[in-house]
Amino acid sequence: MVTTLTTNPQISTLSDVFSTQNGAVYQCDAERCWYVDFAGKVAKFDYRCLLKLKKAVYNVDIEAKLLDSSKKPDIEIIFICACDHTYILTLLQIIALKEILEGTFVMLQLNNIIQDRLYRVAL
Amino acid sequence: MKDLIRIKSLISAEVEALLNQQVKKEATSSSIYLAMASWCNRNGYDFSSDYFFKQAEEERQHQLKFYKYILDMGGNAISPDVTGIKQEYNSFREVFEEALDQEISVTQSIKNIYARCLKEQDFVTNEFLNWFLKEQREEEYKARRALELFEVIGEEGTGRWQIDKHVGGIKYDSEA
Ligand SMILES: [Fe+2]
Ligand SMILES: [Fe+2]
Repeated sequence: MVTTLTTNPQISTLSDVFSTQNGAVYQCDAERCWYVDFAGKVAKFDYRCLLKLKKAVYNVDIEAKLLDSSKKPDIEIIFICACDHTYILTLLQIIALKEILEGTFVMLQLNNIIQDRLYRVAL
Repeated sequence: MKDLIRIKSLISAEVEALLNQQVKKEATSSSIYLAMASWCNRNGYDFSSDYFFKQAEEERQHQLKFYKYILDMGGNAISPDVTGIKQEYNSFREVFEEALDQEISVTQSIKNIYARCLKEQDFVTNEFLNWFLKEQREEEYKARRALELFEVIGEEGTGRWQIDKHVGGIKYDSEA
């Protein structure tokens, strides 16, 4: 499920996952979802949709687009199947979003390692 | 911060991808055996044809085992594309040589997943894979035994007819 928010969510209940100058990803434990703040909007993603977003962005062949000398506009539509949500991004924005998602998944994996080691011992 | 991904799925994205690769590998094995069954049948090797039909069915079961495990653990099982299956063989012997090659490559690929799971300390998936390790023991044994028949019996005269008859009787019944 993806929802676009008109107002910012209550920042207090969110944890920072990863951010750059161009945008950020926050996690909401209570709603079990992530908020992606990018390209002027904050969109809510559940786990499956976040994975689909990652796949869609990673699948853009940035190198090929850079070498493309035709006069086509360098606009990419990131359409996520079964999530009523679309990004229309320039190549520079794609690169920026990719950076944010890469950082996000590294942080989520780090969190996984920490939690796995911490909560394995019966308390 | 909660580990939300872990709540959704027991297996990591990497292990999930490897298991999906294995789903495809088992599906490919099944199709290869089916092609072998057809070739043997067309060339008059009825026992071998039956043997490969059975193998094809087993590989299909292996595929489903991996497929259901991925889903049960909260992952996304992907139905594989299987293309480019070889339909013609140059000789009766070549069929068995390639059957053994295929089983060896399956064993190697399961070892690879096992190693990844050990690294991640995903003991749950390791335990699931144990069944397959044991199965590969049998699969490689049978494929090797079949090839040995070519050495022991020899292909001259009615040799191939004899070999075919014995392929039907290959069994692995180790209790160990
Ligand atoms: Fe198999
Ligand atoms: Fe097999």
